[in-house]
Amino acid sequence: MRRLNILIGALSIPLFLAAWEAIARSGIVNMVLFPPPSIVAVAVLEWVRSGQFFSDFGASLYRVVTGFTLGAIAGVTLGVLTGQFPLVSSLLSPLFHILRPIPPIAFVPIVILWFGLSEAGKLFLVFWGVFFTVWLSAHIGVQKVDRGLIRAALMLGTPRRQMLQEIVLLGALPYIVVGLRTAVSISFYTLVAAELAGAFSGIVYRIEIAQQNLQTGQVMGGLAALGLMSFVADRMFATVAERTVWWR
Amino acid sequence: MMQIKRRPETALALAHSLPPAAAAAGEAETIIRVSDLSIVFDTAQGQVIAVDRVTFSVNRGEFVCIVGPSGCGKSTVLNTIAGLEVPYSGEVTVNGRLMQRPRPDVGMVFQQPHLFPWKSVRRNIAHGPRMLGKSRGEARAIADGLIEMIGLGRFADAYPHTLSGGMQQRVAIARALANQPRVLLMDEPFGALDAQTRSVMQDNLLELRERIDATVVFVTHDLDEAILLADRVLIMSAGPGRVLRDLGVNLPRPRSNAIMLDPAYIALKKDCLDLIRTEGRRAFDQSSAG
Ligand SMILES: Nc1ncnc2c1ncn2[C@@H]1O[C@H](COP(=O)(O)OP(=O)(O)O)[C@@H](O)[C@H]1O
Ligand SMILES: [Mg+2]
Repeated sequence: MRRLNILIGALSIPLFLAAWEAIARSGIVNMVLFPPPSIVAVAVLEWVRSGQFFSDFGASLYRVVTGFTLGAIAGVTLGVLTGQFPLVSSLLSPLFHILRPIPPIAFVPIVILWFGLSEAGKLFLVFWGVFFTVWLSAHIGVQKVDRGLIRAALMLGTPRRQMLQEIVLLGALPYIVVGLRTAVSISFYTLVAAELAGAFSGIVYRIEIAQQNLQTGQVMGGLAALGLMSFVADRMFATVAERTVWWR
Repeated sequence: MMQIKRRPETALALAHSLPPAAAAAGEAETIIRVSDLSIVFDTAQGQVIAVDRVTFSVNRGEFVCIVGPSGCGKSTVLNTIAGLEVPYSGEVTVNGRLMQRPRPDVGMVFQQPHLFPWKSVRRNIAHGPRMLGKSRGEARAIADGLIEMIGLGRFADAYPHTLSGGMQQRVAIARALANQPRVLLMDEPFGALDAQTRSVMQDNLLELRERIDATVVFVTHDLDEAILLADRVLIMSAGPGRVLRDLGVNLPRPRSNAIMLDPAYIALKKDCLDLIRTEGRRAFDQSSAG
C-alpha cells in the first residue's frame, strides 16, 4: 500500500504534464493561449539563454530577501519591545492593530506616489507585508513565554538584560519562527504586487511583458519559476526553523 | 468579599528592630520570619484572601514542611518567602532582611522542573552561577560537582526533553543549589511524579539533605511526605489559609521511606489526621452554612 502511494506520488507530475501536452495539442483549446509544456520549456530555455532570466531572478530575489530581512528585523525588535514592556505596547499596539489588517497590496498606489517606480518602493511593500506578521508573532511569543521559566530564572538571579536576551527571546522563538515562515510567503505576494505596479526587471515584470506580447509560454514559464522560487524558499526556511527550535 | 486593612508599617518596623536575642542566648537562630502575613488577590470576582495573618519562623538548618489541602495558600506563602509575591500586609524576612524581590540566597524548586529547554543539564545548573558573575569555568565546575551529587553524570550534556520527570526534577534541585542558597524552598517538587519515583526522590532528598546545610521549607499536600522529611510540620487550614498547628517531628535520622511502619510515625500521623479531619468538617459546615 505504501509502495503504491509512493509510486503514484512519483507519477503525479509527469501524468499531469502528459495530460496537459495531449490536451493542448488535441486542438480542443487554442494553443496560443494554452501552450503545451514542451513550448513552455522552450520559452524558458530561451529566457535562460538570453541571460535575462538571471537578471530577472536576481532582481526579484534581491527585493524579497532585502524586504524580508528588514521587515523581520524591525518586526522582531518591536514585537519583543511591545511584548515585554506594557508602556511601549500601549503606545504602539493600537496603531499596529489598525494598520495590520489593511492588505499590503492596497498600498501600491500610495507607494507609487511616494517612491515612483524606484527600488525603494518595492522594498517598502515587501517590508510592510513582512513587518506586521512578524511583529504580531514576536509580540504574542513574548507574552506566551512560560511564566515558570521566568520565575525560575528570577530565582537564579538573572538580571533584566539577560532575562530579555536569554529567556524571553529564546522562549518566544518558536512563535517568532512560525511568524517568519508565514512572512516568507507574504513577501512573495507583495513582490508580485510591487513588480506588477511597474518595474524594469524581475520575474513578475517578465511575466507581464510576455503577457503583453501574447507569449503565453513565457508567462507560464515565469509562473513556474516564481512557484519554484517560493517553494525552495519555504523549504529552506522550514529546515532552518527546525534546527533553530530543535528543543521542541 | 472580606476586606483586609493594611496594617501601619511603623508598628511592624518597630517589632523587627528588636535585636535577635534568641541567637545570643544560645538558642537556635531564626533564619526565616513570617510575621502576620496576609495576601489578597484581586480577581474578577473581587478580592480573594489567599493567606490570612500567617506567622511562623524557621531556624537555621531546619527542614520544615507545610501541609494543607490544595488552594489553602501554601504556594502563595512560599512565593512570598521567595520574593516573587509581595505581602498585602505583614512581612517576611530571610536572614534579617526584608524579602521584596528574589535574592540569590533563597533558592526555589517548583512543582514543574521549569528547566531551560535550550540548555543542556550542565548549562542549566551553571545558569545561576553565571548570572552571579562566576566565570564559565567556575560555573562549569560547580555544575559538574552537583551533577555527580544527583547521580546524573552520564546525562551532563543531555537536554531536558530527553530526561524522565524524576531526572528533570533532580536537575531542577541541583540548579537551585548551584547558587549555594541559605534557604531552599520547594513547592510540591514531587507532586507531578508517579508514586514509585516519588518515594525514590524522597529518599534521595533525605540523603542530599545530610550533605548540604541549607534550611529547607517544603510544601506538600501529602502528609506522609511531610512527616517523612520534616523536622517540623506546619498544618494549614483551607481558605483563607492559616496555620492550624506547628508540630515537631522527633523521629530519628537518617530516615527513609521504611519509617512509615514505625509506631511513633503512625501515632504522629494519626494526630495530624484527626486535626485535619476536625478542621475539614468545621470548614465544610461553615461553607455550607454560609
Ligand atoms: N495569581 C493569583 N490570582 C488570583 N488568585 C490566586 C492567585 N494565586 C493564587 N490564588 C488563589 O489563592 C488561593 C491559594 O492558592 P495557592 O497558594 O496556589 O494554594 P496551594 O498552593 O495551597 O494549592 C487559591 O484560592 C487560589 O485560587
Ligand atoms: Mg500550590
